[in-house]
Amino acid sequence: MRLSTQPARLSDAPVNVRDPDIDETLDIDRPWIVLVWNDPINLMSYVTFVLQKVFGYSREKAEAMMLEVHNNGRSVVSNGTKEKAELDVFRLHEHGLWATMQQD
Amino acid sequence: MAFGFRRPFQPKGENRFIINLGERERAVVRAVCEDLLSALDDPVAQPLLRRLYPVAHAEDAEIDAAYQEMVHGDLVTSRRTVLERVVATVDDTDLDREAIDAWMIGLNTVRLVLGTRLDVSEDGQPELEPDDPEVVAWAVYEFLGGIVESIVRSLMSTL
Repeated sequence: MRLSTQPARLSDAPVNVRDPDIDETLDIDRPWIVLVWNDPINLMSYVTFVLQKVFGYSREKAEAMMLEVHNNGRSVVSNGTKEKAELDVFRLHEHGLWATMQQD
Repeated sequence: MAFGFRRPFQPKGENRFIINLGERERAVVRAVCEDLLSALDDPVAQPLLRRLYPVAHAEDAEIDAAYQEMVHGDLVTSRRTVLERVVATVDDTDLDREAIDAWMIGLNTVRLVLGTRLDVSEDGQPELEPDDPEVVAWAVYEFLGGIVESIVRSLMSTL
């Protein structure tokens, strides 16, 4: 992945050229998602509260995400630019949650 | 809360939280935080601390390594800051929101490390003989779980 901070412009896309960078250039526009994974240590109430605190979610929304993590092993808790996803992951890691990020 | 009759943390107004913990319980809180503070920079302890620095990019080890290098120092500083805050306020009778938040994160961080050492699984605590050397560690782990749960409840009630 390219660590450019500039978003790709349509005009940047090469025409009729097989360039290995094409996919990566287009990738910049795809949003990132942040996932929280189930773990046996963090308490359910704690995970719910951290989601409320970090993202400002309602109790109901945070609880639904926590239950998805608990029952299905993971849940998408936020999405956005790479920079936003990195910040979200960092804050979740600060709180000890098992969070990863990937392009949707 | 020597006999468990009182809730260990209770909100008092919007920004204050009363702590009902006895001296021995506070001594445990202080000891585990000081232990972890000294382990943060100890190379020998690092394998036990792996839950404090989780993988961020599960699909690409190379990108993850770069990410870890970028944030590791900040994560260590963040841990040190909350743990030092707990130690500094461990004898207080009430805490403001920022301090109780540090207690919640700091003691949860200790649980992560203890849980790693005890190899905690979804099955919960295994059957232990009374003379098992891990009895004390399990007791501390459960005690900290009760503390974190109580803090979360009192914080949630103020949202």
